[in-house]
Amino acid sequence: MTTGSVDLLLVDDGTALRGYDCRDVLRVEEVPGRAGSPGGYLVRLGRVGPPREVACREILGSVSLSAREIRLVPEVLKERVTGEMPWGVGITEQRICLLY
Amino acid sequence: MFEVIGMVPPGGISPLDEAREELLRDASLSAEASAREKVQEEDGPTRSLLVFSLGAEGFAVDLVHVCRVLRPARIARVSGAAPEVLGLMNCQGEVLCVLDLRRILGTGTEKVSTAEMEGKFIVVIQHGGKEAGFQVDAVRDVVDLPASSVHPVLDSVDPSRARLFEGTVTCGGQFVGLLSPSACLNP
Repeated sequence: MTTGSVDLLLVDDGTALRGYDCRDVLRVEEVPGRAGSPGGYLVRLGRVGPPREVACREILGSVSLSAREIRLVPEVLKERVTGEMPWGVGITEQRICLLY
Repeated sequence: MFEVIGMVPPGGISPLDEAREELLRDASLSAEASAREKVQEEDGPTRSLLVFSLGAEGFAVDLVHVCRVLRPARIARVSGAAPEVLGLMNCQGEVLCVLDLRRILGTGTEKVSTAEMEGKFIVVIQHGGKEAGFQVDAVRDVVDLPASSVHPVLDSVDPSRARLFEGTVTCGGQFVGLLSPSACLNP
């Protein structure tokens, strides 16, 4: 990580793009598919933050976002999200991802 | 009080003509002001409303709360969000949360696909420090109506839905629900 930017592991959870701070990633495990359910990946986090696991469909790689590409989560969305609350929104010309 | 009117300078406007013109200008301004006052007395203050449609139904929102009207760009879905959240959109470098008005109003429950959003509009509404885009089918008109022509919400409207409306107005012979921005923005 450099000043004013964050390196993120970008994953696709099947619905949306999620970004996790690379510094917090412990490991990524492949989960084989079973009959009727596609395989995916399990991202284990907790190197610098609390331990947690995130299941996702695809690992898209790492991406660096500068402070200029990060926005606050809109209030209207905050009030309508259940479960894990994103801390920010990454916005580039190509895509929007939620930061967890 | 009378002015002493001088001689007409050759080829110029006489002081009498100037005085008459000034009088007529004043009279015209005074008549306009009086007409405006009369309208205000009769109809009260006016409200500008943006009228749009969602399916066959017409809805309106006070233009004071409308920031802009956009064509939908790529909308990023959000996992774990309420069903009325269509997603996030890049609106000139800012993040805009787009809500499905049909779901909020309880008139539709199917998830809107990206293809279905084509040709539709997003009306961006701001109120009480909150902002969101509401997907609508078509934007019909902007109308100026006397504030007194906003009637209470129709009795036929379901009580759970009635809280989303400020009242009812008539536009083009159709009853149009005037949305309450506060109720639509707050879950």
